[in-house]
Amino acid sequence: MNKGLIGCLGIGAIILFIVLVGGCAVAGSYNRLVGLQQKVDQSWAQVQNVYQRRADLIPNLVNTVQGAANFEKSTLTEVTNARASVGRVQIDPNHAPVDAAKLQEFQQAQGQLSNALSRLLVVSERYPELRATQNFQNLQAQLEGTENRISVERGNFNSAVQEYNTAVRTFPTNLFAGMFGFQPRPFFEAQAGAEKPPTVNFNFGSPAPGATAAPTP
Amino acid sequence: MEITLKLTQLDPSVRAGLALLLRMAKKRTLLCLGILGLFASAIVAHAAETIPPKPDRYFNDYAGVVSPGAAQRFNEQLAQFERETSIQIVVAVFQKMESDSDIADYTRRVAVTWDIGQKLTKNGAALFVFIQDRKMFIQTAHGLEGALPDVTCFDITERNIKPKFRAGDYEGGLTVGIDLMIKAIRGEYKGSGKTVRESESSQSNPAGLLVFFFVLVIILLAIRASRRFGGYRYTGGGGPFVSGSWGSGGGWSSSSSGGGFSGFSGGGGGSGFGGGGAGSSW
Repeated sequence: MNKGLIGCLGIGAIILFIVLVGGCAVAGSYNRLVGLQQKVDQSWAQVQNVYQRRADLIPNLVNTVQGAANFEKSTLTEVTNARASVGRVQIDPNHAPVDAAKLQEFQQAQGQLSNALSRLLVVSERYPELRATQNFQNLQAQLEGTENRISVERGNFNSAVQEYNTAVRTFPTNLFAGMFGFQPRPFFEAQAGAEKPPTVNFNFGSPAPGATAAPTP
Repeated sequence: MEITLKLTQLDPSVRAGLALLLRMAKKRTLLCLGILGLFASAIVAHAAETIPPKPDRYFNDYAGVVSPGAAQRFNEQLAQFERETSIQIVVAVFQKMESDSDIADYTRRVAVTWDIGQKLTKNGAALFVFIQDRKMFIQTAHGLEGALPDVTCFDITERNIKPKFRAGDYEGGLTVGIDLMIKAIRGEYKGSGKTVRESESSQSNPAGLLVFFFVLVIILLAIRASRRFGGYRYTGGGGPFVSGSWGSGGGWSSSSSGGGFSGFSGGGGGSGFGGGGAGSSW
């Protein structure tokens, strides 16, 4: 009787011990996941910041370029349209997207704007008097600086997501990560066709706008 | 007439964009490798480059284009600037860029590695010049992006340094560049009157003294204890040891303040470099 009681107490103590240790381990991993997730959200906010910075530069750029004697209209409209479609893709700036399709959409819109902008810069080569103005040069420097920031922040975001995803998917965290709502997050991927260096063709023969073929994907 | 341009003939901005896209493409294939992921990409993607070791001065002329007197003057000017404002500006002149990356990208990594700027305010900036490549770039950390925006950096490199460099006047170009950077930033931050290197050494001095006295007390106690318990056995060894540590104590303080130039120590603000800044080629 007495022995049995001691045995029961012993087993109880062991179970309590296991539950305590297990609980501590789960709590520790949970806290780690929360921290990593916050880092992902933080770097997403930075990504949004730098893309916003680029979008803010565009009206100024368009105005400056418009002033140049008969600057090719189609290029300008393309930039303005791309800028507008970027504004239409709304993602909460404080929380990184959970849905891969949403991020894809964002990336596609931003990619279109990147293409339109680089085309604008290429076309501007044909307007030496525009390129000589201080205003245009300054805008170009700002645009380049912004592109640099975008690449840095995208890289930071990707590595934050990767760290988080690794934590979510590895044992033993993966056993309960889903239970608490920690899902793997999507990250930025290189754009289709970006791996082959594009060739840029200049058609100096015909001055008609739209005749230039700049085969960007 | 159709002309097809090769990558090398493109406008620098377009080239920067292409380089960026290429780099991302490279990164993706690496990400697919999974487990090694980020670490591997950091190593493999930049395998073809050398990050120069941390310099111990503010002005570093590795290409030998500036007279020693001017180098000394620039160094003092920048050290004094840190004392007054806490801002760290490092200038490095190299013969050649040891990387296949874009200059903006490469010099950012160098600035991060060198930990330029204070840890809290992230107020570092660096001017990199590559003589053979005829390229330069000013990197600014977050804390200086307000005082030294990209446009200002571009203005300094393109309209002030570049004409002098084109004429072969490196010393003149650097003088103008350093002066203008300082002028643009001045007034934004307050300094402590000391560089990071100087406050490091003044901090280590009291600590060194404390350790010294602690050791001295222990030795004295040991001597007393040994006298009480074991007679005079240890006193013979104790005497010279005590005088020896006096000597080495004197040695520390003189060596830390020695040297004929103001040394540079990174303030820990490397993570502040987020792609800000601008550059030119000449």
